[in-house]
Amino acid sequence: MTRYRTEGVIAGVILYGSVAAVLIFFYVPIFTLIVFSFSESRFLSFPIEGFSIKWYFALFASREFWPALGNSAILAGVSTTIATTLGTGGAIAWMRWRFRFQRSFQIVSFAPLLFPQLLLGVAMLLWFSVLGGWFDFSPALWTAIIGHIVYITPFALIIIAVQVHGFDDTLEDAARDAGATNWQVFREITLPLIWPGVMSAAIFAFLLSWGNFYVTYSLAGTARTLPTFVFSGIAVGSSPVYPALATVTFVPALLLLGLADWFRRRAAKRQMGAWKDT
Amino acid sequence: MRIIRKSWTDPGLLLATLPLTAIMAFFFLIPLVMTALLSFQGTQYYRLIWTWSSDTWVDVFTHWHYWSIIIRTLTMALICVVLCVLISLPVSYAMVHRVRSLENHITILIVFAFLTDAVLKTFGWVLFLDRTGVMNGALSALGFGPQATDILFTPVATMLGMVYNLLPYTIFCIYLSMKRIDRDLMLAAYDAGASRFRTFWEITLPLARPGIFAGAILVFVLALGVFLEPKVMGGGTSPMAAELIRQTFETRVNWPLGAALTLVIIVIGTATLAVAGLAAHRATKAAAESTE
Repeated sequence: MTRYRTEGVIAGVILYGSVAAVLIFFYVPIFTLIVFSFSESRFLSFPIEGFSIKWYFALFASREFWPALGNSAILAGVSTTIATTLGTGGAIAWMRWRFRFQRSFQIVSFAPLLFPQLLLGVAMLLWFSVLGGWFDFSPALWTAIIGHIVYITPFALIIIAVQVHGFDDTLEDAARDAGATNWQVFREITLPLIWPGVMSAAIFAFLLSWGNFYVTYSLAGTARTLPTFVFSGIAVGSSPVYPALATVTFVPALLLLGLADWFRRRAAKRQMGAWKDT
Repeated sequence: MRIIRKSWTDPGLLLATLPLTAIMAFFFLIPLVMTALLSFQGTQYYRLIWTWSSDTWVDVFTHWHYWSIIIRTLTMALICVVLCVLISLPVSYAMVHRVRSLENHITILIVFAFLTDAVLKTFGWVLFLDRTGVMNGALSALGFGPQATDILFTPVATMLGMVYNLLPYTIFCIYLSMKRIDRDLMLAAYDAGASRFRTFWEITLPLARPGIFAGAILVFVLALGVFLEPKVMGGGTSPMAAELIRQTFETRVNWPLGAALTLVIIVIGTATLAVAGLAAHRATKAAAESTE
């Protein structure tokens, strides 16, 4: 029996220890940034010498911050909307239908996920340069939007596909029997049922786009978003403005994640309710 | 759920698949073909010349310099995969079996860390590891010399950054596959007198293999293309493939060479996927036969 007990102790130490260690590991740089954002000194050395919030004011007064924030918002907003719409259609076609060339469709709509982002960006940049030569344009925010759509749609598709997977189609049949058109069935029955999946896909897509560096860096031309703004800033020299910026960007991510969790709980509760009803 | 057969004349099918297919074909497949074509062109005085020659490829295959960087990238990617899998196994196991009441909270904590801007997190690591950073500050306060650690701007720091940014992929893949394992199988093994470690080795690990495989492949492919970590945390002293490719395009303005190097990495990544996919297919087939 002692052998089992020591084994249990070792297993417990490894398991609980690994979870604790990984959580600490994940939050080391995040807490480091938060601490440095309140530093008094302009040099980022530890221990910090005094507490101040002046770097937040410096950040908000910076002329480059606001355009970068605006670009990030436009980029993430537009590409999330389009990627989620495309992903919804794609997920239904993946999971619920059978058609010719379905395999090819699945490969084409999934492949960008398995590509190193920088290479995806480089390959698209080459193509945009050729197109730009023909139609006389240069890479800007909208080319980055297309890049983000290609990169993010597979993620959205998979998340929605999971929701479509457990789909109960008797309601659709009932609506169809009652004389609803295909579009009405989709709008009134299908979409509300998969809505939690669509929403979490949208939130995930937004965060992926908001924090994306590689694709934006290759495709946005001279337009700066928050990640590329930070990258060019820390390449020149570090300043407490960037930790302050990091802390500011944690807020929307936290809110969106809370929202996603709320949707998930509500969906789970509904499912429980549906079970009880039947 | 019923699977519905659709023909290509169905408007719903066209609406759901055509825009997506068009975008992927026009902005993903064509760029790949473009890259392949471009690698056969020439360059002179920083300008692209349309000639069909294989000079660039001869250049790629005769310069040891490129291959040393590619081999370094492969080695770093493989080490990163091994570390990520080794760390993820106990973490995922604990998330499924030990800390079940906290499972959702831990998932959310990991997702939040994962979705935070990678540039900022990498910069956070620099601040933490720097000579005057948090780590050394804390260690010297505890009485360990003025500079206890000095790993920033070395390949070790690059590896730390890579594991940091890619670990969530393996954790989630392995976690999801372990979550699907029937607990009764494990209980049966305990009843039969197997120890915890033996049960883990003979029941959990083989059943979680698809997740381990998926996570490892994802991390490997993503690790082949890392750019930020070698640049910001490695200090650019030992560049990896992505940095080489970026330099070829931006600094040397040699597009055919850049395209050829991009293709080399894409081919290595795709070949790995193909081999791994085949191996996984064989393994599942063998497993299915052995249970019959």
